[in-house]
Amino acid sequence: MDKETIKQKFNLTDEDLKKPLPVPQKWSKPFWEGAKQHKLLLKKCQDCGHIDHPPYLYCTNCMSENSKWIEASGRATLYAYCVNEYGVPFYFMPDLPYVVALVDLDEGPRMISNIVECDPKELKNGMKLEVVFDDVSPEVTLPKWRPVKE
Amino acid sequence: MSKAEFAIIGTGEVPCGIYPERSEFEIAYTAAKLAIKDAGIDKNEIGAILGAAHIMGSEYNTELFFGRLPEAIGAKGCKITAATISGGASSFSIRKTAEGILHSGKTDTVLVIHAQRFSQFSTNEQVKYFATAGSDAEWDVPYGMTYNSLAAMMTQAYMTSTGTTIRQVASVCVALRKWANLQPNAMFYKKPLTVEEVLNSRMVAYPLTAYMCNVLADGGCAYIMTTVEKAKKVCDKPVYILGEGSGYSHRSITAAKIRDLGKMYEFYAPIAKEAYEEAGLGPEDMDIFEIYGAYPVGQLMIMDSLGFVEPGKSGALVEAGETSPGGKYPVSTNGEALSFGHTGTGVGFAIFVESVRQLQGKAGKAQVPGAKFLIENCAGGAYMDMHFTVMGNEIPSQL
Repeated sequence: MDKETIKQKFNLTDEDLKKPLPVPQKWSKPFWEGAKQHKLLLKKCQDCGHIDHPPYLYCTNCMSENSKWIEASGRATLYAYCVNEYGVPFYFMPDLPYVVALVDLDEGPRMISNIVECDPKELKNGMKLEVVFDDVSPEVTLPKWRPVKE
Repeated sequence: MSKAEFAIIGTGEVPCGIYPERSEFEIAYTAAKLAIKDAGIDKNEIGAILGAAHIMGSEYNTELFFGRLPEAIGAKGCKITAATISGGASSFSIRKTAEGILHSGKTDTVLVIHAQRFSQFSTNEQVKYFATAGSDAEWDVPYGMTYNSLAAMMTQAYMTSTGTTIRQVASVCVALRKWANLQPNAMFYKKPLTVEEVLNSRMVAYPLTAYMCNVLADGGCAYIMTTVEKAKKVCDKPVYILGEGSGYSHRSITAAKIRDLGKMYEFYAPIAKEAYEEAGLGPEDMDIFEIYGAYPVGQLMIMDSLGFVEPGKSGALVEAGETSPGGKYPVSTNGEALSFGHTGTGVGFAIFVESVRQLQGKAGKAQVPGAKFLIENCAGGAYMDMHFTVMGNEIPSQL
């Protein structure tokens, strides 16, 4: 269903169909600023080397606040996925069907994201992925993933 | 060897389903009255009343915080009232609160109540709420993740890791429905279901079809908890808390302690072992496994952890009918979230109350003959934690 059909069918306004965007915390701002510049950043502790994603105020391994944002390779492996087809909030209906996945970054952390630019039927756990940046608004960019072409 | 300190002496429950005209207050007051009557005590003996707060807020929450329940129930001897919540794990955290109060010696009788009316919210409000509550607002929600997506990804990971088939996943729904068909208070009482119907229902979040997902419902229950000492005096068949085990894993599934989601038993099994050991019992002593898994995959992951089936083979066991009525390993005898009805935090309460009923021999057509010991669980969040409890109508050390 396209946006206009959904609006008519459920008697909605444009406001109802506005997607929720991430509201960064003080300690996660650099991640979203990096994404805006099409860089995938991860918070790495300078004392113990632990990478936290999602990031928190201090290192969840050693509580150190001495951290650095490193640029990730943008390479990952598909761990698991699902294809949303029904029962999502109004503002995601125009996107149906879409893939939500657990993505294992080469650097270690696991992320929730979308797999784009592919037929969901071709997805296979363990397949290699590369990051793509979706500029969803002038202020916000969401890192997403697509299969690496062999 | 178990050193049981606490016992349940009575329960009350209202029918689960869609009942828009029945307020949470009516549910709470009715369930409380039934539990008091079932326990055979005077309402003025109750020294503390604990209510489960809601994750989807309403006037009931506020009234709970402002002490409505003791006044409305007329519990003249009530000294303490409080609301306790930890999402789906609330049935455990509220019971620990009750145990703490009993342990203090200030009262020997606690009333615990859960009441929920999801039908006051529109479908979109419910969908929106469970998209945002189960998912992280910053890292998951912008990607269109919902609670169903979470369970779907876990199912997909579990199937890939263990070789479990989608037919076996569907058979979990059918086994639970068979139990619900014996439970007059279940939302899907007298509504049979087949594996084909589950598989052919609308695709919601591949690989999950509609019948593999939950329908939010209205319902509630209550129980009376006391010390073992008092229980033996006032009750013919008290149900004892014999052993417990708890563990916390994560907020977001991406941070789960177990990376291979097909092996969640690596996290759950040691917790179950702790509960068994504290009770001085083992899986072979359990007559029933009262599992709260919310989705079929949750049921399978928990069965994998309880020591009566080889991890990863639970799907085959369910498909063979062994967890259904009449099977060798009765699992979730009220039909659980999928078939008794999903009342939010209430699923764990319903499982707990059903556990008590089974051990008191009051489970009607769903009664497992001669049930003496069982293990039950609850868990909250996005599979954030796990709490197992071994219960019995005997204390093993006194056998």
